[in-house]
Amino acid sequence: MASAFLLDMTRCIGCEACVLACKAGNQLPVDTQYIELIEHTSGTFPDLTGGFQNHRCYHCADATCVAVCPTGALFKEDGLTRLDRDACSGCGYCVQSCPYEVPVMSDGRSSKCDGCAANVGAGGSPWCVTTCPAKALEFGVRDAILAKAKERVAAIKDRYPKAQIYGETQAGGLGLILVLPDDPETLDIPADPPDAPAVVDLWKHVVQPVSMGATVLAAAGAGVLGIIARRNHMAELREVEETEKAGVSSGDPDTEDV
Amino acid sequence: MARVKLDITRRQFLATGLAGTALLGTGMGPGRSNLAMRYPDPPWFATGEVVTTYNYCDMCPWRCGIAVQSVDGKVIKIDGNILDPKSRGKLCGRGQAGVSFMNDPDRLQSPMIRTGERGEGKFREVTWEEALDYTAEKILAIKDTYGPEALAIFGHTTGDFWFTDYFAQAWGTPNAAKPSSSLCLSPRDEASKLTFGFPVGGHEPMDWDEMECITLIGSHIGEDSRNTVMQDFVEARARGAQVIVVDPRFSSAAAKADYWLPIKPGTDTALLLAWANVLITENRFDRAYLDEWATGLDELTAHVREFTPEWAAPITDLSAEQIRATARVMSDRSPRAVIMPGRHVVWYGNDTQRMRAEFLVNSLLGVYGRHGGMYFNKSPFLEAYPHPPFAVTGSSGGCSAEPGEESDVLPLGPTGKARADGAREAFLRGPTAMQELIDPMITDDPYRIAGLVVYGVNLLNSIPIPNRTIEALKKLDFVLAVDVLPQEHVAWADVVFPEATYLERYDELSPIAHKTPYIQMREPAVPPMYDTMPGWMMARELGLRVGLDAFFKWETIEEYLDTRLRSVGSNLEKMHDDGGVIIQEGKPYLEDFVADGETPFHTASGKIQLASEDLAGAGFDAIPVYEPTEEPPEGYYRLLYGRVPVHTFAKTQNTPALSAVYPENELWINEDEATALGYVTGDRVWLENDNGDRSGPIAVKATQRIRKDAVFMAHGFGQNAEGLTNANGRGASDTKLMSRYKLDPISGGGGMRVNFVRLVEGG
Repeated sequence: MASAFLLDMTRCIGCEACVLACKAGNQLPVDTQYIELIEHTSGTFPDLTGGFQNHRCYHCADATCVAVCPTGALFKEDGLTRLDRDACSGCGYCVQSCPYEVPVMSDGRSSKCDGCAANVGAGGSPWCVTTCPAKALEFGVRDAILAKAKERVAAIKDRYPKAQIYGETQAGGLGLILVLPDDPETLDIPADPPDAPAVVDLWKHVVQPVSMGATVLAAAGAGVLGIIARRNHMAELREVEETEKAGVSSGDPDTEDV
Repeated sequence: MARVKLDITRRQFLATGLAGTALLGTGMGPGRSNLAMRYPDPPWFATGEVVTTYNYCDMCPWRCGIAVQSVDGKVIKIDGNILDPKSRGKLCGRGQAGVSFMNDPDRLQSPMIRTGERGEGKFREVTWEEALDYTAEKILAIKDTYGPEALAIFGHTTGDFWFTDYFAQAWGTPNAAKPSSSLCLSPRDEASKLTFGFPVGGHEPMDWDEMECITLIGSHIGEDSRNTVMQDFVEARARGAQVIVVDPRFSSAAAKADYWLPIKPGTDTALLLAWANVLITENRFDRAYLDEWATGLDELTAHVREFTPEWAAPITDLSAEQIRATARVMSDRSPRAVIMPGRHVVWYGNDTQRMRAEFLVNSLLGVYGRHGGMYFNKSPFLEAYPHPPFAVTGSSGGCSAEPGEESDVLPLGPTGKARADGAREAFLRGPTAMQELIDPMITDDPYRIAGLVVYGVNLLNSIPIPNRTIEALKKLDFVLAVDVLPQEHVAWADVVFPEATYLERYDELSPIAHKTPYIQMREPAVPPMYDTMPGWMMARELGLRVGLDAFFKWETIEEYLDTRLRSVGSNLEKMHDDGGVIIQEGKPYLEDFVADGETPFHTASGKIQLASEDLAGAGFDAIPVYEPTEEPPEGYYRLLYGRVPVHTFAKTQNTPALSAVYPENELWINEDEATALGYVTGDRVWLENDNGDRSGPIAVKATQRIRKDAVFMAHGFGQNAEGLTNANGRGASDTKLMSRYKLDPISGGGGMRVNFVRLVEGG
């Protein structure tokens, strides 16, 4: 039976207890965190709304990272996306392909929330859920979590007319069900994450299961790498754009070398 | 030298964090769990027996009860103690980082005696024997020459009892002070005592469970991550309670508010008087409650008549409609509508009167002793360890100690000297004012203070005008620093006592005044690291060396604690087995007092003093009036400061896990202002106050979330301490930009929102 997190952003007060509980409970390296809180603001003073994006693994049912992972280090289990760091080869395909830009490289291997597999397996809850002072986080059977999220949304419509659930359908259905006060874009969450491209599908459902020929592997691999290269290119373009918008010198070589 | 005895037998083999959380019925089968379980491989709780010890957190002063999980003699994980009424199994990010705080490689590791000049930070490591003997010799010389009053003792954090309360009173100095008083809570608690006859107390007695309207004035819940308050606030709001936030900044709490009033800084009293005006003129106050429990309603009614919302609007930069509407929201829900008393209320030097105004509005709403309003907290019963009468009583005050009964006569030390902080002359009343003890160290007026013990106070990053503090440090005969870390001021000490952290020591029991009064315990999870020592042992060893043997009769801390616990039918072992807390019965509501034929209000009249005769008698306004505060000069912004959720005071900036999440503070400035000045988010600037003092560099956060006349930053950054790898030179220091403060003439509080800064290039 699939499990899921409930993350109620109308309750989250941005205290970052989840961030530190995760770091402590999972004994993460000091410079690694699986959860990051990012403040977002809409409007102009004094007509403002705002909140935090609780940036972490969304545990996609159709997980691109799992599809592109060449070693099986990333895999689906109980509706969640697990990571076996021992099996990770450090190729970074997951980092490049995640529609939510979640995994990062840490000590040469992929690093992201695995739903506290060990902790839950031992009969506990994920560390972030256990500690959350706002009770913005819960964990349980996905169907029950989804039903609870729907109840929550119905209950807060007066205060938040645009309240909505996020994650019921996105990326095949997420293992992280969000209760949002407003449209997901206000927290910089894509309303519809890009679907896993066809070539990823090919990789996952055709190439990986069969005993693959080198040619097919190379072709599909090239396709995946192509996607990744394009992503990188787009990211670079975005960066340049943002830098220019911010009015910061991007280091003009003509003026630098005087 | 004896080390702390670690009692292994009492440990309980239960991982509270695991056992205490129910899984919402997942059908998790083994599946590929063999693979999954390999990260981490195996998880820490599967590597050996998980040993739980109980403690109260020291990562902030709020004192959440915690369950500390260790395996093989290593502390791994800290969870909120499920049975503790403050934490209820939850814990904030700072509490989660307690292990990181303990394992900070920058910790002080050995006692030291200064070898270079003061401020150079040159020391030689010595034995405890030598450090203690030397310290005893120095403070006895001060006592012989000037009297015991000449030793000042500053203390902060949850271990300060042993030095600031116990040793100070036994030794005989009235000059013991805590920043939690005059640099934080004094105005609030003096205002409460003047109005209700008792202080608000360390744990604000908000009856959250039934509250229907919450008003915050400057309290930034969420950024101020006090665990219990976050839990209660979110729960009350989710239940439908209305939230009104008064703050110049669109804080995390303001983003959750139903009404945000972006008030002009320094004008809160005008808003409060206008709210009182609306409640009274629209007959929206609890007349029956006030008739029975208050005096001065007629005076208050006459006083606020002229303070209409239309009067307050241009002062506060709010609209009359906003003011009127929010007053009505409160009154529609009274008495389940409370203005939260808040903490750190030392703003503009008129702070006792502002807090009085707040309490008057709360009284009009009829909140005290009412369900969903504020309850009467009660201290738990717990007898003291028998000791001879103190040489001077009630000297320090603060979060954890009563400052003693107010009286016309201040407590005198053994050679007849009262506090040197100017109490009764420069200010009316309240606990010893730390910032007022600095000048006497420089001027010898009213008498010489020759020695200073600093326990856990980040001296140069907490007290305004740090240059003045350095001048005092230069002039003192002797300075002892007791700390866990080589904080900035430690370089100015003659002797350094490195302390074992809260996870490595037994400590005094922690009595919590609460709706359900209760007692917390602190037991070590591991023995002290390095050559460090618990504070209680330092105080005792020093006491035995300066002739205070009679106050330290106990041989072991276990005997001390067991003796106290016996008075409540417990002992260390039983308290541990009972889950680390002892909970008693409270007396929270008016009806509980009515049933006993008592009044809960301990003023002279036994009633709420809407008009204060005490203040009138001392020449102050009986009912608060609004007094304008100084405006920023052209080109300057008012410097506001506060919290970020993962840091406490100037204490945690070096903690590796917390520094990794929030390494340096940012300067919140209105985006339009920043644009006009040519700055964007991420630019690094310095700040200069109108006295020419600079601090930085600090990253600009250009945001719509703040008014145009103020800037904001998290407190505690911009430290200059070479021994602090993560904190040294990171960000800007609000304290170093405070070239002035405004003394509250009633409570002795030092108002610190009276400094102005501008953005400049380069340091």
